[in-house]
Amino acid sequence: MIERLSHGPASVHGLTEPFALSQQMISKHIAYLVRARIVIKTKRGRESVCTLRPEAIKTVRDWAFSYRRFWEESFDKLEVVVNRMKKEEGRDDRNHGERNRADGRHKNF
Amino acid sequence: MTETTVNEIERMVVTRIFDAPRELVWKAWTDPKYVMQWWGPKGFTSPVCKMDFRVGGKFLCCMRMPDGQEFWNAGEYHEIVPQEKIVSSMYFSDSKGNKIEPAQLGIEHEAIDGAYDVTIFEDLGNDRTKLTFIGNEPMESAKNSGQMEGWNQILDKVAAVVTKLAQAK
Repeated sequence: MIERLSHGPASVHGLTEPFALSQQMISKHIAYLVRARIVIKTKRGRESVCTLRPEAIKTVRDWAFSYRRFWEESFDKLEVVVNRMKKEEGRDDRNHGERNRADGRHKNF
Repeated sequence: MTETTVNEIERMVVTRIFDAPRELVWKAWTDPKYVMQWWGPKGFTSPVCKMDFRVGGKFLCCMRMPDGQEFWNAGEYHEIVPQEKIVSSMYFSDSKGNKIEPAQLGIEHEAIDGAYDVTIFEDLGNDRTKLTFIGNEPMESAKNSGQMEGWNQILDKVAAVVTKLAQAK
């Protein structure tokens, strides 16, 4: 559906045609896309017209979300957290009460 | 620890060796206080992370993009072997933890039916820990996304950072 909308705005009716789904199912799918702020729905006369939200598409594309990327980059961040924890533990042995202060730092994000 | 068999689809696997003892890596992975600090790709923050860390317990984590857009993931813990192994499931959800299809978010994710995510913690000795994440996604699908080269570059960078940290000690 996003592929179809990337060619330009389309009515809900026009979006239903290429799919072997009821207009009700298509409307439900569109509602999800609207809620996810990917699609904007406007009324033009009696027809509802759907347009891709350009910024949303750009973010989805730039991000090119992949499961693998999610985990690889989360691991990068986990590494930073583990190193920080290691330092805190070392510091806590000598000096209690530093932990919370260190936790509040988010400069790496 | 044989979690894969030869005739199973090759899965997406991410491994990382941490220069830290296993109990520390386990803590960073299982305590929401720490999970919130690393959950999500680069540039994302995690404003909410709830974890009922026990077998049958559920988790709900939010990741927020720099532009404010939020993505929620929920899942369940199926098996927990302390400091060794976690078997869990994960799916995209709304902020209440109700499952939603990734396609509805404009995300492609090809999951293997009936398969779970498996996280393995291995003590390599000398306060080093190997973390292995076996994801519920076929390897082929990860390769086809054309990002394998990118990951190799990222891992090279990470290795350089770790080496520097180790030398600084």
